Amino acid sequence: MVRFVNFVPCGEREATMRLAYLDAGSGSLIVQAVVAGAAGMAVAVKLYWRRLTGRFRRRAEAPTDND
Amino acid sequence: MVRVEPASFRDPSGRVFYRDGQVFRGLSPVAAQDWRALAATKFFANAVKAGKITATEEAEKTDEWDVVLRHERIPFVSYPFEWSFAMLRDAALLHLDLLQAALAEGLTSKDGSAYNLQWRGASPVFIDVGSFEPARPGEPWAGYRQFCQTMLYPLMLQAHLGLDFQPWLRASVDGVEPARMRKLFGGARRFKAGVLKHVHLHDAVQSRNARSSTGEVRAELRDAGFSAELVKATVRAIDKLVRGLDWQPPASHWTAYQQTCTYSDADRAAKVEFVEAVLSKKSSLTLDLGANDGTYSRLAAKHSDYVVAVESDAAVVDKLYRDLHNEGERRVLPIVMDLADPSPGIGWRGRERASFEQRADADTVLALAVIHHLAIGRNVPLPEIVDWLAALGRRVVVEFVEPADPMAQRLLANKPEGLFPDYRRDVFEKLLGERFTVEHRAELPSGTRTLYCGVRRAG
Repeated sequence: MVRFVNFVPCGEREATMRLAYLDAGSGSLIVQAVVAGAAGMAVAVKLYWRRLTGRFRRRAEAPTDND
Repeated sequence: MVRVEPASFRDPSGRVFYRDGQVFRGLSPVAAQDWRALAATKFFANAVKAGKITATEEAEKTDEWDVVLRHERIPFVSYPFEWSFAMLRDAALLHLDLLQAALAEGLTSKDGSAYNLQWRGASPVFIDVGSFEPARPGEPWAGYRQFCQTMLYPLMLQAHLGLDFQPWLRASVDGVEPARMRKLFGGARRFKAGVLKHVHLHDAVQSRNARSSTGEVRAELRDAGFSAELVKATVRAIDKLVRGLDWQPPASHWTAYQQTCTYSDADRAAKVEFVEAVLSKKSSLTLDLGANDGTYSRLAAKHSDYVVAVESDAAVVDKLYRDLHNEGERRVLPIVMDLADPSPGIGWRGRERASFEQRADADTVLALAVIHHLAIGRNVPLPEIVDWLAALGRRVVVEFVEPADPMAQRLLANKPEGLFPDYRRDVFEKLLGERFTVEHRAELPSGTRTLYCGVRRAG
């Protein structure tokens, strides 16, 4: 089974395109969570935790030759 | 005739242009929606009333744009690499202040550039009305990186390392990148206020996420619970950091500076009297080249709509700015610039931000006690200096310091003897007379300094 991970819902992708005149910088967006204090730090930890678990999940769900 | 502002191409949803001496901004349908959202807020009306955002009204629509705005004109456009430390800090604080007010009403700014700000004398004013747009829930501030590169990092360079930031900003229109800052803040310097998070962590996270698109990261942050409250907390934290950054020049700087002020009381009084007499004709824009502590800029302000005080010593400009700002002065703008190396055009094709000479179209130019610094100190030929003065303004008030003067002697002592055979009063008077009609002339009591007031000849 091939699973596409789509992070941005379609309507929101249009909204993102509206913002695109300036490249905000992926890292510059994430680091703001840390700048925001303890609550923001929790968001950053959650983001990285999801990335980590997502990687394992994708590996577990990776297609085999029999699929 | 319509002239498009060369610096307004970066955001394609609008364009700034000039027509009949007025400033307009054309808005696309999307930008027009953002404008209506902004115009409906209380903070916008209050900020315009307080002079924090440039006065803006809707003008007659054109075929090309959905909405056309008319902006109040800024008397003299200056750039962040011409500002002093306290100027850049006050500009940064105004940007953050407006962003916080916008966030409170559901708006944000889509960029964070120091070029969003200009000056009315010693008061900063936000000019990029097109920056504001409705905030999207769960999205961090898109202008953060630009704010760091053009405002926070330059302030850190000066406050933490004592490095003048102006050359860094002049070298790149996009400011100082996190990776470059990180190299400057190694060792124990990384523990200075704000450096670990805004420089080291910022650069590390940026390089590890270089392959992720900002769209993906925005969605990830939203899913992880990033909220509007966190955006406010981020901006509050940056505001607190910027307020805590300060810079004062070392005491030795002022001792050295005092040695450049060698006037006797009689010379000083005679000079003030001459300048005051010739400035009695009203000017719209006066440039005071080599303004020092601003004595003559203040004097010129009595007879001018606006005065730009140009001085190469960033510490002197910083002190002058702080004084003018505390006095609430809105007609004298101090800027940092080396007269022998004036601001060039920078950015795209060298035209995005205009050179000093392109921006300087003055009624009156004061060049008091500067000619010898250019001619002897920097080897600029006298004919070049006189041509340059004629290019800057219609009327000039200029001081010639003879080689026998103690200040000229001090400069000559650093050069081989006989290097400047043409640096003489008679040569200067001849050159001045070719480009200007000299209307007034006065010798100061010391006998080694002469003042002239000339009007530029036609052609």
